[in-house]
This record gives sequence, structure tokens and C-alpha cells, in this order.
Amino acid sequence: MSDVFLSASQVKRCFSTSGGDFWALKGVSAAIPRGKLTILKGRSGSGKTTLLNILGALDKPTEGDVLFDGQSIVSMSERSRARLRRTQIGFVFQSVALIPMMNALENVQFALRMAHSRESHAQRAMECLKMVGLAGRMQHMPQELSGGEQQRVAIARAIAHRPRILFADEPTGELDTTTGLQVVKIFQELCRREGVTIVMTTHDTGLMEIGDAVFELEDGEIISGR
Amino acid sequence: MLRFVINKMRSKKWMILALLIGNILLVSIAAGNPMYTHAVFQRTITKKLETFLTQKNAYPGQITFKMKSQTDDLARVREHEAVVQGMPDAFGVQALHSISHFSAIKTSASLLLPRDDAADLRLTVSSLSDLDRHAKLVAGRMYAPQPDEDGVYDVILSEKAIIAQNLMLDDVVVFSRMTNAQGEPLRLRVAGVFTNSSSEDLYWVNSPSYYSDNLFMAPEAFEAFFLSTEKLPWQINGTWYVLLDYTAMRGDQVQRMLNVADGYRRAYNGNAVRSYNDHFSEIFTGYLASMQKVQVTLWVLQVPVFVLLCAFIFMVSRQMLQMEQNEIAVLKSRGAGKAQIFGIYLVQSVLVSLLALAAGIPLGMYLCQVLGSANAFLEFVRRSALPLEITGEALLYAGAASLLSICAMTLPALRYARTGIVNAKRQKHRRAAAPLWQKLGLDVVLLLVALYGLYSFNAQKEILAARVAEGAALDPLLFLSSSLFMIGCGLLTVRLAPLLVWCVYRLLRRWWSPALYASFLQVLRTRSSQSFIMVFLIMTIALGVFNAQAARTINQNTEDNLRYSIGADVVLQESWDSTEAGGEEGSSLGEVTFFEPDFGRFEALEGAQAITKVYVNNGVSVSAGGGASIKNVQLMGIHTKEFGQVAWFKDTLSDVHWYHYLNAMAQNSRAVLVSRNFAQQYGYGLGDSITYRNKNNDSMRGVIYGFVDYFPGWKPVAYTKGSDGLYHETDQYLIVAHLQQLQSAWGVLPYQVWIKNRGSSAYLYDFARTSNRRLSVFLDAGAQLIEKKNDPILQGTNGILTVGFIVVLLLCSVGFLIFWILSIQSRSLLFGIFRAMGMTMREVLTMLVNEQLFISGLSIVVGAVVGRLSARLYMPLIQLAYAASDNALPLELVSRSADNVRLFAVVAAVMLVCMVILGVLVSRMKITQALKLGED
Repeated sequence: MSDVFLSASQVKRCFSTSGGDFWALKGVSAAIPRGKLTILKGRSGSGKTTLLNILGALDKPTEGDVLFDGQSIVSMSERSRARLRRTQIGFVFQSVALIPMMNALENVQFALRMAHSRESHAQRAMECLKMVGLAGRMQHMPQELSGGEQQRVAIARAIAHRPRILFADEPTGELDTTTGLQVVKIFQELCRREGVTIVMTTHDTGLMEIGDAVFELEDGEIISGR
Repeated sequence: MLRFVINKMRSKKWMILALLIGNILLVSIAAGNPMYTHAVFQRTITKKLETFLTQKNAYPGQITFKMKSQTDDLARVREHEAVVQGMPDAFGVQALHSISHFSAIKTSASLLLPRDDAADLRLTVSSLSDLDRHAKLVAGRMYAPQPDEDGVYDVILSEKAIIAQNLMLDDVVVFSRMTNAQGEPLRLRVAGVFTNSSSEDLYWVNSPSYYSDNLFMAPEAFEAFFLSTEKLPWQINGTWYVLLDYTAMRGDQVQRMLNVADGYRRAYNGNAVRSYNDHFSEIFTGYLASMQKVQVTLWVLQVPVFVLLCAFIFMVSRQMLQMEQNEIAVLKSRGAGKAQIFGIYLVQSVLVSLLALAAGIPLGMYLCQVLGSANAFLEFVRRSALPLEITGEALLYAGAASLLSICAMTLPALRYARTGIVNAKRQKHRRAAAPLWQKLGLDVVLLLVALYGLYSFNAQKEILAARVAEGAALDPLLFLSSSLFMIGCGLLTVRLAPLLVWCVYRLLRRWWSPALYASFLQVLRTRSSQSFIMVFLIMTIALGVFNAQAARTINQNTEDNLRYSIGADVVLQESWDSTEAGGEEGSSLGEVTFFEPDFGRFEALEGAQAITKVYVNNGVSVSAGGGASIKNVQLMGIHTKEFGQVAWFKDTLSDVHWYHYLNAMAQNSRAVLVSRNFAQQYGYGLGDSITYRNKNNDSMRGVIYGFVDYFPGWKPVAYTKGSDGLYHETDQYLIVAHLQQLQSAWGVLPYQVWIKNRGSSAYLYDFARTSNRRLSVFLDAGAQLIEKKNDPILQGTNGILTVGFIVVLLLCSVGFLIFWILSIQSRSLLFGIFRAMGMTMREVLTMLVNEQLFISGLSIVVGAVVGRLSARLYMPLIQLAYAASDNALPLELVSRSADNVRLFAVVAAVMLVCMVILGVLVSRMKITQALKLGED
């Protein structure tokens, strides 16, 4: 299956809490197709964010393995994982996570800087902002942008360094339906035009059909996959 | 509510701890000042009284009350007795002895059994209270209080009296004119001969030999014979000695005792009837003025530390409020009123203050102990412990400080109590506006005020010096303006720093690693939260550097001035025998020949490394052109080589080494060195000849080989009180000539002996004791230095500067830690983003280190510069307070690298600890958790 970019096999994740161990993931296996938009769906607490974090090399599974383009990221050192995130992965978070002291353009440029991109930073950043429809607000500070605009800047930042995979955790969670749809449209476009693999979580059933692949989680297990 | 507050405080225990530290320090310093001054007053007064005792060999607590004219009125005697009895209570000091000495007017007497060799007797019949307990009999027996069956009373005499009056034991003396009611004359039998029981006995205000014509009856007997009828049988004199226990005299009684003594003097002196005298009034009067000076100086030195402490408390409270902003907002949305929220913070600050009071006052006491043992900056010696106690005044000051800190703690709450949840959120997302002080230009205003202060003080420097010479304390405004200067510089830096950072950022941003880039932007764009820590750090470091430099400078200059004005380790002059009995040199116009004592005795002294003869005459006159003459020129006759070896001189005082001057002078026997003002004001040049004459009008001519700005033992400027009652600066002139030349022209005149010691000068005291010559001059630099260092002003200054320095270090550490830990905590989301974007832990840490370097590093550098600068600008004025009158040398700023090393070592250590804590905090931070934190 050459078009599987990222695969999880029997991934378990346990959090120790004061009330004993809590298994957020109880053996999840999933294959994320290359260059497609994959949706992880489920109610809050179903473990989708945990899975996303593990897939995105932000967190390590208690058990199981994750292959990133054929390479195990579980056995990687913290340094290599950081490098992986820097160069190959983009993140968009539920709450807007822009760097508050940088303006929109700088936020995007910063990702390029991090990835040591050889492209002209300014040009690529502007290109990305144009892509998300924010060419006119480049010099604004995050606090001066609306929620949707901030989210779009976050997306521009996540894709600026041309990551091979983009993770988005409830990117539409705090947005109204129209803006949410706009964001999803951008994702679709990214898959089509740049061939980026995208994994996003959502609990919005209205967005389901947009995904090329959909996994539904409940209680730390995948109950359906398409 | 109390429960709620305590829970809240528990949850923020680190912040509360920081607040407590600040408050405890504040209280202890506030309470420490009155405690210290009180204790120093006590120690000084005890010392002064003791000095009086040892120097004058008289009991300092002694009161002498005398009936000046004899009386035959019993009522008058009784009235005096009552006054004396009331004295200890009036002064509030217990009396060790209250001695009444009665004597019947001296009259002629005869022996009952006349002897051939007996001369005419004129004797005084006396009584001394408690004599039997303080006299030791050398012969015979103690008197009996009752007459024997023949009506003869016993008396005892001093050894001196029995010899002087040529009496013998058991002689009976008849006073034919002194008769009792029955007309019988008084007959006294010499029963015993006494001396004082011990030489230490305070009772003997006058030694027994003072009573050379007194026959002492038992006081009861004297009373029965002389003082039993209203109209006394014989004229009586009375003297009372009250010895107040001087060790029980307390500093705070001084004013009252002076008032009481004044009352007595007003009531009893100035007439012929009686007189009141005491030993302590004079000691106390000088003391009161000097103590006032101590108090003002100490307060003034503490002001910057106080400001810093208040700023610290304010900063911590504000930080805490910022952390609790959400809670406040929640409380408000639940319907808590402004007053309630304010109340919570009020209760909290009162709790903190109470705890601080409990801990601060004992700490204050400890600090005072530290102050009292300060010898120099950061240097302590073992001295007798200060008599410390917690006075009402100390409590009052501590209370006032607590109130102040409660204000500092609750004032920020006032603002936060007003903002609701909506406002709070809105404010969070608003770009930080320039703070109020920046809009008002407070930094520039403060700097201008401080510089104006500097300017105007410099303009009136002479007046200032004169006032200090008169005993006034230094103007507190002067110290205040140095503090203002530091604050102003700090604020200005905060205003300018972003500009600097921005420039660096623009220049180099292309090449920076992401971590560096991010940290730069952090510094550049979030300055409002940093401005306070920056000002605080600048203030702290500046104050630390300033304190260190001030203390070192004051101490070093005091020492230098002392050594310079004495001229050598020890300078002494013996009084010489001369043909004019008792005549001082130069006091008469006639020819006086002096007999030089053997100089070899000095050369033989083991402890002296080098000695030389120096002839000093302050009354030489020089006739300048146009008939004018310069009077009171100081003439020094020296032996150039020896003088160079003995005298103390600092190389920095002249451009070329001063030996060059001595060498130049040594070339020619007529060569002289003169003070620079001869050239400046009278146009003398090198090679000119100068004629000077002594009081006998003997003239000498010298050739000028050099102009000196400074010379050992010579003060270029003197402050003298002019006819208008003000002090004025007057130029002093100096001529240095060869001693041999002077001696061959004017003869050998009494010279001073200047000595350089090998070690201590103790041997010279032995020498002085064994030598039978009186020393008319004896200046011991070492001893005077110790005395200077014991001076409460210098001691307190050293102590306070030291304590201030330590407080500064402490505050710096705590403030620094708090700021950084909070800064990390509030930015965990940001770090989460960075980490998610692929920053390694190491890069995040690099970022923090960079940030530290920009914010703290810049502040520290600026602080150090500001500290030095303010020392340079203000020290010359502040120095005036310590040695205005005997300040001969130009002020030289002294900084010990050790102090700076200490200061910066502590700062570096704190930064390191801080980095370690931050590192642990950051590495413990889970990315996923950090990101979740952001989703509030």
C-alpha cells in the first residue's frame, strides 16, 4: 500500500491520574492515505486529540508504533522528532496558537525560519497568506485579527515550510459555520494543489463528507473507518 | 472571608513568601533605625562619661551643691538637705553616694594639756556622713557617737591633718569659743587617724589629704552639738556631693537631665548664697547636637533602600494580582462588589504585615547588632554588643512602615477590583500602551530634578561645607537627588532600551537562528511587563555599586585625610627647657634660648622604622610686592631624605612622584618648595627668591625650586569662622625649607619628631610614660583612625551601606526569580507552540538565556554604569558630611573590585539558579499539556 503515508498500529496511550490509570487510547490502528484529507471524528473525550498528538510526534504512545512514511517515530530521539516536526509537519490547533509578539507575516515567516527553508521567506510567507485570503492583513498583530483570521494565519504558518503532512486539531471548533467551511476549503485546496497529507479532528458531522477518509473514535477505539 | 484569604494565600505561597521577605526587610529597617540610634546614643553617652572619668579623673555623675556663705539658721541647712535628697528623683537616676559635709567655721583652739612645741591651732570641726564606713584607721580607734562621761567627743583626722597640725593620739583639743547651751566649751579627743579604705572608693570625692585641718566628729555627735537648735551655736558651712550612677544614665534621659540641671542652676546659681555644679551637663550638651546629626544621616542613607523595598512590594503585589485576574473576574461575575474584592486584598496584606511585624522587629534588632559591629564596608569587628532594646519609637516606626507597605500591597488591587471579566479579557488582547510614566516623561523630569539638585548643591558647596563644619547634618535632599538620579536613569533606560534592541534587531535579523529571533521579538514587543523588572534591576545594581563605592570612598578618604593632615604615623613634640621659664616659642620678642633634648632617645626606639626632625612654624610672614605681606604662612623645616622616608603621601596627589620635589630641593641648601598659590596669586616663578621672616623679624631668603599642590601635614584650605559668624574658606600658604638652613640662621628651635612605625605605636606610649618630658604635641594616626571608625556617624554609615547592600542583593535575587518564574508560567502556551513547531528543548532554553541577557544583562550593565556615575557626581558632596572641616585632599573615588566581584558574583549566581529552575520548569513542561493550557 504505497499510498499510506502514516500508519498507526495498536497504539495505546495511558495517562496516570489520581484516580488510577486512564487509557485514552486502547489499541488504535489506522492508515492515513498520502495526499488526502483524513478526518478523525468523535465526541470530546473519545481520544482523537491524543491520537493526533501521537501521530504528529508531539506525544509518545505507551504501546504500539507509528510509521511516518515508513519510519518509526516512536523509536526516534527527541531531537529527531523535533527536526521532523520542524521540517515535515505542520500543526493547526483548536485554540488559535499564534505567537503573540509577531505579526501575521512574521508568524508565517517564523515557520520558514524554523525549517531552515531555502526559499525567500518573505515571498513564500506572502504566498501562503494570499492562499488563505489574508494578503491585506499581513502586518496585523494576532490580537488585532478576528478568530477566523487568526485560524487562517495559523494555517498559513502550518503550511509555509511545505510540510508533507498537516495536523489540525478541531480547526473549526471555535469558528462559525461559514468560516469553518472556508477553512476546510483551504484544506481541500492544499491537498489538491500541493499534495499535502492532512489529518484533522472534528466533532462537526457536517464536515464528514468532505474527508477522503474518516475514522470515528469512541472510548479510545476506532469504531468505524472509511 | 478570612478562611478564603488564607486558602488563597496558601495557593500562592511563593508570592506570599516574596511579599513577606519584602515586608520583613521593610519593617526591620524601619524599626532598626530608632533602635540603632537609641543604642548608639546609649553607647556614646556611656563612652563619653567614661572618657570623662579616665581623662579628668573625676566622677562624671557628680553633683556638688554648696552653701556658699556660712549660716547660723538651722532652717536653711534643713532646706538645703531637702533639695539634695530630692536630686536623684529629679534626675531620675539613682545615687550611689550622697555625702554631706558639714563644717563649723574654722577657729582657734588649744590643747587641754599644752605641749612645749605646740603651735597655735586653727581647726575646722567637721562631719562627713558615712565616714566610718569609708575610712580605714591607720592608728587609734573609730570615734564614738556619744561623748564620754566628761563630755569629751571623739574625733578622727586624716594622716595629712595629724602631721600638719602637729597633733597626737589622745590629745584633747578645747574650743573655748564654741560652747553648748550650758556654756561648756567643745572638747574633742583625737581618737584615730584614718585614710581612705581603698583608692577606688568613689566616696572620696576629695581625697583624705584634702581635709588637712579638719577634725571629724561622728555625724550624730556633730548633729547633737551644732545642729540641734533653731539658732545654731556656731556658723556652719555645708557641702553636699551627690554621685549619680552614671552607668545608669540613659540616652533618652539626657534631655530631661539637662533641663533639671538647668533648673537647679537657674534657681541656685548667680547669687552668693549657694551654688550648684555637676559634671555631666557639659558632656551632654555637645552630645545632643551630634546625635541629631547621626539620626538625619542614617535616615537619609536609608531612603534609597526604603524606596527599593516599597517598589519591590508593589511589584510583587501587582504580579500576584495579574495572576489572579481571572479569579477576580469570576468573583465579580458572581456578584462580589468592589469593596469585597478590595477587602480580600486588604485582609491579605494585613495578615502579611502582621507576620512581617512579628519577624521584622527581631530581625531589626539583629541588623542593629550588625550595624554596631561594622568597621568598614562589609567588614565587621567584635565590639561590645550594643545595648539594644525595643523602644516605643521603634514600634511606631515599624507600624508606620507596615502601613506604608499595606498601601503598596492594596493600591494595585484598587485598579483590578474595578475591572470585570469582560474588561479583563479585553485588556488581555489589547496591545500594551505606553505606561503612564512614559507619557508624562517622568524619567526626564526625575533626571532634571536630580541634576538641578546636583547643580545647585555644587554651586553652594562652600556654604554646605561651612554648615557641616558648624555641626549641621547633611541636607537630606542631596541624598534624595542621588536616588532620584538612579531612578531617572533606570526609567530612561527602559524608554530607550527598545530602541537599541530594535536597531540590533534590524541589523542582524536575517542571520539569526529562530530561537534568537523569537527572543529578540519577545524583548522588543512585550516590554511593558519587563519594564518594571528592568527598572528594578537597574536600581538594585546601581544602588549596590553606589553603596559600595560610597562606603569605600568615605572610609578611604577619611583615612587618607587623617594620615595626610598628621603627616606621618606619629608626630610628637616635646616641650623644651628654655631660658624663658614657661615661655612658649615665639611668644616673646626677646631672645630665648632653647635646650634641645637628646634626640638619640628617639633614634634608639626599636619600634620606629624611620624618624626625622621637622620644624613647623605657622606664624611666618612673607612680604609680597607692593608692601603687602602674607601672614600666617606655614614654614616647615625638613631634612629632605629622612622626610621622604617618614612622611605619608599619596602618589596620586601630584603629577610626578613627590620625591622629585624633595630631590630638586636637595640640590641647593637655599632651595625651598612653596605652595602653588604663591605662583597663582603673587606671581612667583621657579628660581625666584622669596624672603620670609619669623615673629622675631629674623628674615630668611630661599630660592623657589618647586611649587607643590599638597604636602604632608599641610592643609591648602582652612575653614575659619569669620566676623559675620559664617565659615569661610581661606587659602593657606606653605614654605618648605631645609631644616639645617633654618637652624643655622635661627638657632635650634623646638621641632617635631615625625615617626614611621614598624608596627603598632604602642612602644611610643611606653616611651611617653617613662620620659619625664611633657609632650606638647602627640598625634597618633593609628589611634585617631580607630577613634574615627568608632564615630557613630561613620559606623552607622558603614553599617547601613553594608546592610543596604545586602538587602539589595537579597531583593535582587528574589525579584529576579519571581519575575522569571512567572514569565515562564505565563508563557507555557507559547513554549508549547514553539515545541510543536519543532523547536528542541535546547533551543527553547537558548531563547530564555538570550532573553535574560537582553533584559537582565542590559539592566545590569546600565545599573553598574548608573551606580558609578551617580557616585562620581554626588560623592564629592556627600563626602562633605563626613570630614568637611579636615578635608584637605581632593576626593578620590574608591572602588574595590572585590565589592563589584561580590555583587556580580551574587547576580550571576542568582541568574544561574534562575536558569536551572527555569530549565527544570521548561523541561518538565509537556508539549501537549502546554497546548491544552492555552485552551482556556
